[in-house]
Amino acid sequence: MPTRAPKVLVNEVSVTFESHGRSVVALDRISLHAHAGEFLCVVGPSGSGKSTLLRVLAGLLRQSAGDVRIEADRPGAPLTAMVFQEHALLPWRTVRDNVTFGLENRGVGRAEREARAREMLAMVGLTRFAQHYPHQLSGGMKQRVGIARALANDPEVLLMDEPLAALDAQTRTIMQEELLRIWATLGKTVVYVTHSLEEALLLGDRIVLLTARPGRVSQVYAVDLGRPRGLEVRGAPAYGALLEKIWFQLREEVVRAMTEDRGGEHA
Amino acid sequence: MRAPDGRLAEHWITVGSPILLLAAWELASATGLLREAFFPRPSTIVMHLRQLAADGTLWGHTAITLVRIGWAFALAAVLGVGVGLAMGLWRRLRDGLDPVFAVIYPIPSILFLPLVSFLVPPGEIALVVTTAVTSFFLIAFTTTHGVHQIDHLVVEAAFHYGARGWRLFATVLLPGALPFIFTGLRLGLGFALIVVVAVEIVAASRGLGALLWLSWQILKVEDMYATFFVIAILGAGLSYGLAALRARLLPWVQDVAAP
Repeated sequence: MPTRAPKVLVNEVSVTFESHGRSVVALDRISLHAHAGEFLCVVGPSGSGKSTLLRVLAGLLRQSAGDVRIEADRPGAPLTAMVFQEHALLPWRTVRDNVTFGLENRGVGRAEREARAREMLAMVGLTRFAQHYPHQLSGGMKQRVGIARALANDPEVLLMDEPLAALDAQTRTIMQEELLRIWATLGKTVVYVTHSLEEALLLGDRIVLLTARPGRVSQVYAVDLGRPRGLEVRGAPAYGALLEKIWFQLREEVVRAMTEDRGGEHA
Repeated sequence: MRAPDGRLAEHWITVGSPILLLAAWELASATGLLREAFFPRPSTIVMHLRQLAADGTLWGHTAITLVRIGWAFALAAVLGVGVGLAMGLWRRLRDGLDPVFAVIYPIPSILFLPLVSFLVPPGEIALVVTTAVTSFFLIAFTTTHGVHQIDHLVVEAAFHYGARGWRLFATVLLPGALPFIFTGLRLGLGFALIVVVAVEIVAASRGLGALLWLSWQILKVEDMYATFFVIAILGAGLSYGLAALRARLLPWVQDVAAP
């Protein structure tokens, strides 16, 4: 079980965008937390501001109100490292140089960088591809590099923005198992945004369900399916019951968002 | 096994079409279908080309033209890439320069010769500067576009992983723009050749353009065609040279990295 110390604290955070003179509320007074070592999944319909929340946590976007706290217990380590949905690797850098990019920017010496890259590439199974360029890799391999790049920085919190959404179904399943293995090895705190309830149930300790437009916290579910968890969890009765329960709630949100979209088009 | 056959056929067309064209020309001139006085046979042109090369005339003119292109291209490349990058990075600068460039760019390059001659000493320097003008614009435009087309997500990711200021420029913005910069350089080099020949026709007594014009004026048509041929080979050589350099320097660019 993860320890109970809070690692990520999001308190009454709102984000408002200005667009064409109108302000759009993307996040409306969101409060949530993640314990140290916890795998927290955030799910919600399109437009619920899941990615916006991650961007606030990553420091890429400043919230309009409220505060975010990430407890740092190792000096020098970055607070967050993000795995982006479309991998966002630098095409002109080899796999290895992509993995060491963050370390390079922080002034870590070459020997340490390379040792770290070797370690991370071994962990994601890409040792043989260190000198390849991203365009020579498959989608799944690119995302492994994205994960290695994030982990190489040894962040306090790992942020993942639908990292497997662009992959085909088989690759996604394999990557989910990989993620579970890596997480079990490193014990990182993870905030993981996904569209897929099945993915959230397989990976998460808890699931935060957001509403659409504006994004608010609808429900928080504990996933009491035991650890270590593998694909076989999908056959467990508790899995089906929880999936149905969350889906029932999520469905309402999706339908509501769709209806409002249609209303918006007529207006 | 259809694919290799298809590729072979494609290859044949590339190599075969100029040969076929030359053969048709040879035949047409030999049979009198084309007037030999204006369209000498390719075999005759080659003979004259040999002669020009043997007595050294050709080398002197070619060397002079190459030196002019070299200076003009270097000038256009340095200024074009510099200004293009600056325009790509600073919106204000772009907004200010865009209309000016839009007005100047379509002016035929040769018309800059008198203008340039007012500004810099006439002669060799004016020649080089005039040759550089259009290349400069081409290189600046493509460089600016090169900065703009960089995937926003990649820039954001680099920022997230701590790249700021100079490092952001050197590790993300510059390499991201490089494929387009190379395209601009290739276009610019081609244009430098076009313009230098035109400028030499108008305002120089030596160089390939001058040789071409002189041959025409004294009706040494064979020499004129021989010079044409040298200019064409020079253009193709420079263009392919830069393409090869790009393939070597930018192994991560997909279309050239593929075997």
